[in-house]
Amino acid sequence: MKKVIMVADDSPSIRKFVSFALTLKGFEILPVCDGMEALEKLPTKKIQLLITDLNMPNVDGFELIKAVRSNDELKDIPIIILTSLAGNDEVEKGMKFGANSYLVKPFDPKRILYEVSKYLN
Amino acid sequence: MKSATNLSELFEKLDDLKTVFRYGEKLIPVIQGLVDFMRDTVPLLENINSSISESTSKIPKATNQISNVTSATELATTEILDIIDIISNDISTAETAISSLIKIEKEKVEILSVIKTLVGGNEKVDALFERYEKINYVNPILAPLTELLEKTRTNVYNITLSLQVQDITAQQLASVNHLIESVQERLTSLVIDFEVTNVSVLDSSVIQVPQNTTFDPNARYSKSVDQQDAADELVKDHHNRTSQDEIDKLFS
Repeated sequence: MKKVIMVADDSPSIRKFVSFALTLKGFEILPVCDGMEALEKLPTKKIQLLITDLNMPNVDGFELIKAVRSNDELKDIPIIILTSLAGNDEVEKGMKFGANSYLVKPFDPKRILYEVSKYLN
Repeated sequence: MKSATNLSELFEKLDDLKTVFRYGEKLIPVIQGLVDFMRDTVPLLENINSSISESTSKIPKATNQISNVTSATELATTEILDIIDIISNDISTAETAISSLIKIEKEKVEILSVIKTLVGGNEKVDALFERYEKINYVNPILAPLTELLEKTRTNVYNITLSLQVQDITAQQLASVNHLIESVQERLTSLVIDFEVTNVSVLDSSVIQVPQNTTFDPNARYSKSVDQQDAADELVKDHHNRTSQDEIDKLFS
């Protein structure tokens, strides 16, 4: 059975990039446009890993991570932040909130594959 | 006696009035200058107002064009990615086919080696085997082909990396749109302040900036790995700190 990865990003092209990089290696991608949609769908789907942007409408990436980490059912899902925010403060905050990895856009498809493999293989 | 005093007061007042008139005579050119200045200034102010109004009226078009550019580049990027997806799948198919060919080739070599042992020794047969091997062994062709496919795959990955410029520019354009929106609000309030003219005030809702958009005004496109390296260092520090905290907790 394919492992399912949720990609939360308000940019359709980024969702497509991530999907391109990961579907080739046999992962199934579930794209969502923001944190709110992610929180709605996370409990209903069997998600093995979450890749999230930080700047998103409605519910941003930080809030999403916080919500996931405080939910008993979801708290163990590995989370990779994928964002154009590259400041030290954001990286520190993202990791403090409970992310496992932090990737800066533009990202190398091989790098994202490497990060995903760390948690799913 | 009283009337003499009154007259004296009257003359004093008249003197005062005379002074005022004299002063007024001096003041009149100044007032005239001020009136002339104001007369000249009003058209200028109206001109400024009309310019502001005209500029304000152009803003919605500019913001719409920016939004259209974002949508168009997004669509084009998605289309390119769809094609890249197909190319990538084709590469995978080709790689699988080559891999099968290499396996077949290996088996052929093994079978041929057995046949050679069984029927070899004859000069003519050996020559034929040699000729057959030269024609049929495709490994020397397949090996560079595999390398070529690998190189093409790397190029495809590099294209996807370069295409991410679309996401970065979309964020920058959203930031510019936000800035224009603020300028439009300021200009509109200026037009309202100029009450003297009949210029119609633009409704800020005319600007159609996509709602519910988020952006990083500092987003930049760079292939340099410096930003990622810096983030990696911080992540590493965080993980080290976390591990130490866990160890400390365990032994406390």
